[in-house]
Amino acid sequence: MALQLNHLSFQFHKFTSFSPPPMASIRSPTVFMASTLRSGSKEVENLKKPFSPPREVHVQVTHSMPPQKIEIFKSMENWAEQNILVHLKPVEKSWQPQDFLPDPASDGFHEQVKELRKRAKELPDDYFVVLVGDMITEEALPTYQTMLNTLDGVRDETGASLTSWAIWTRAWTAEENRHGDLLNKYLYLSGRVDMRQIEKTIQYLIGSGMDPRTENSPYLGFIYTSFQERATFISHGNTARLAKEHGDIKLAQICGTIASDEKRHETAYTKIVEKLFEIDPDGTVVAFADMMRKKISMPAHLMYDGRDDNLFDHFSAVAQRLGVYTAKDYADILEFLVGRWNVEKVTGLSGDGRKAQDYVCGLAPRFRKLEERAQGRAKEAPTIPFSWIFDREVKL
Amino acid sequence: MAAVSATSVTFGSSLKLLKSSQITGKASSLKMVTVGWTKSGFPSLRTSRFRVSCSAKPETVQKVCEIVKKQLALPAESELTPESKFAALGADSLDTVEIVMSLEEEFGISVEEESSQNITTVQEAADLIEKLVQKKSEA
Repeated sequence: MALQLNHLSFQFHKFTSFSPPPMASIRSPTVFMASTLRSGSKEVENLKKPFSPPREVHVQVTHSMPPQKIEIFKSMENWAEQNILVHLKPVEKSWQPQDFLPDPASDGFHEQVKELRKRAKELPDDYFVVLVGDMITEEALPTYQTMLNTLDGVRDETGASLTSWAIWTRAWTAEENRHGDLLNKYLYLSGRVDMRQIEKTIQYLIGSGMDPRTENSPYLGFIYTSFQERATFISHGNTARLAKEHGDIKLAQICGTIASDEKRHETAYTKIVEKLFEIDPDGTVVAFADMMRKKISMPAHLMYDGRDDNLFDHFSAVAQRLGVYTAKDYADILEFLVGRWNVEKVTGLSGDGRKAQDYVCGLAPRFRKLEERAQGRAKEAPTIPFSWIFDREVKL
Repeated sequence: MAAVSATSVTFGSSLKLLKSSQITGKASSLKMVTVGWTKSGFPSLRTSRFRVSCSAKPETVQKVCEIVKKQLALPAESELTPESKFAALGADSLDTVEIVMSLEEEFGISVEEESSQNITTVQEAADLIEKLVQKKSEA
C-alpha cells in the first residue's frame, strides 16, 4: 500500500514490520494496501529504473512457520477432503466462458457480437478501466497458483500430488482460470479497449509476480486468501451491479457468476482458518494480526503497462470512486473475518496472542475513522489517460 | 565556522561544526543551542541529520510528545526527545497517520498529504504545526 499520500493501498492492499513505507493517502484504498517501490524510498537499494515495472519494497521473508507445525496440515488432510473439497464444483456441472459469449459455431454469431458491442457502448470509460483492471488481475492466475504452492505443508509437491491440499489448489486454479478467459473474450469482443496494451500489462504482471508476505506459512497464506476471495466477491459483485445499471444485463450475469465462484472459495478458505483457530488459536490469531499489520496487498499491485509508473494507484483510485472496491470495503472485510472467526471470544492465548487479538479486534474501527476523515477532505481529483482505453481520460 | 544566528541554528550534517566549536572552546554557540532545548532535553549528537530549529515552542513539542505517547500507549515516564523517530518508538504506518490526525485535531490545523510524508520525528511534527498555525493566523 503505498501509504502513499497522494494513498492504501494500504495497498490496498496490501501493510511493514519496521521499514516505514511512504505515508498513506487517506483518500484512496491504497492506505491499506502493500507498498510498492517508489523512487526515493529508502528501504531498497535498487532504485527503480525508468520504464520498468515496479518491484516489491519489503524484504522477502521465507519459512517463518516453525517446521513442527507442518504436521498439523498433514493431519488435516482427511478433514480437508471431507470439508474443503466439497466446495469445489464438478467440472461437468461447471459453467464455461462459452455459456456467456456469442457462439462462433452458430449462424447468429455476428448478430450476437453486434448486440454485445451495442451494449458495451453504453458503458462509460471509467467502468471499463475498473473492469480491465479486474480482468488483468484474474489473468495473473499463474502467480496465485504459485503462491499457494509456496506454502509449507500444503504445497503440490509434484504438480499432480493427490493430497487433499494439492487437489484443492489445482481445482481452485482451474475454476479461477475461467474468470480471466471469460473477461478477456468479453473485452476483446466489446471493441472498447486496447487489447494490446492490456495484454502487455498482463505479460508484465505475470513477470513481476507478487509477494503477499505469507512467508511460506499456510496460516498467513489462508488468512490472506480468505481476505482476497471476499474482496474479489465484493468487487465483481459491484461491477455486476454497475453493468446492470448501465443496461448490460449479459455483462452483469458474467460478473455475477464470477462473484459466486469467489463466494464459494471464500467459504472454503475461511473454513480452513476456522479450523486452525480451533487447533492452534494462539498461532492463528498471531498470524491474523501479522497479516493485517503488514496490510493485505492487492494481487495486482505491481501492474505496469509500459507507460504509467503509478498504474495500480490510478486504477484503484477509479475503483474507489466508482464504489467497486473501496477503503470501506477493506474495513468491512476485516470486520467480517473477525466476526466469522469469533476472534473476540478466543481464549487460552499467550501474552502475544492477547496483544494480537486486541490489535485485530480494534483495527476495523481505526480504518473506518481514517476513511471518514479522508472522505471529508476529498479534493478534486485529476483526470488522467489510461493506455487500456487508448489514452482516453478518466477521473481518479 | 558558520555564523550562528540567535533565531535559528541549522547544522547540516555538521557534527564536525559542533565538535570544532567544542575544541576551539566556542561555547557560546553551543549555549545558544542549549537555550532552545532546556525543556525538551538536548538532542542526541549521534544523529547524523541534526536540525535544530528554535521556532517550535517547547509547549508544542511537549504536546506532540503527549499525543505520540498516547497513540503508542507508552508509559507516561518514557523519555521522548524531539529527535525521537516515531517508527523507532514502535509506530507503524497506521499509527503515524493517526498521530497526524490527532495533531490536526489538537492544533486546529490541516496537514497536506505531501507534508505528512515528511513527519517522522517529534521535532518535524512540531515544526510543521508551528508553521501551519502561523499560516492560519496570518490568513
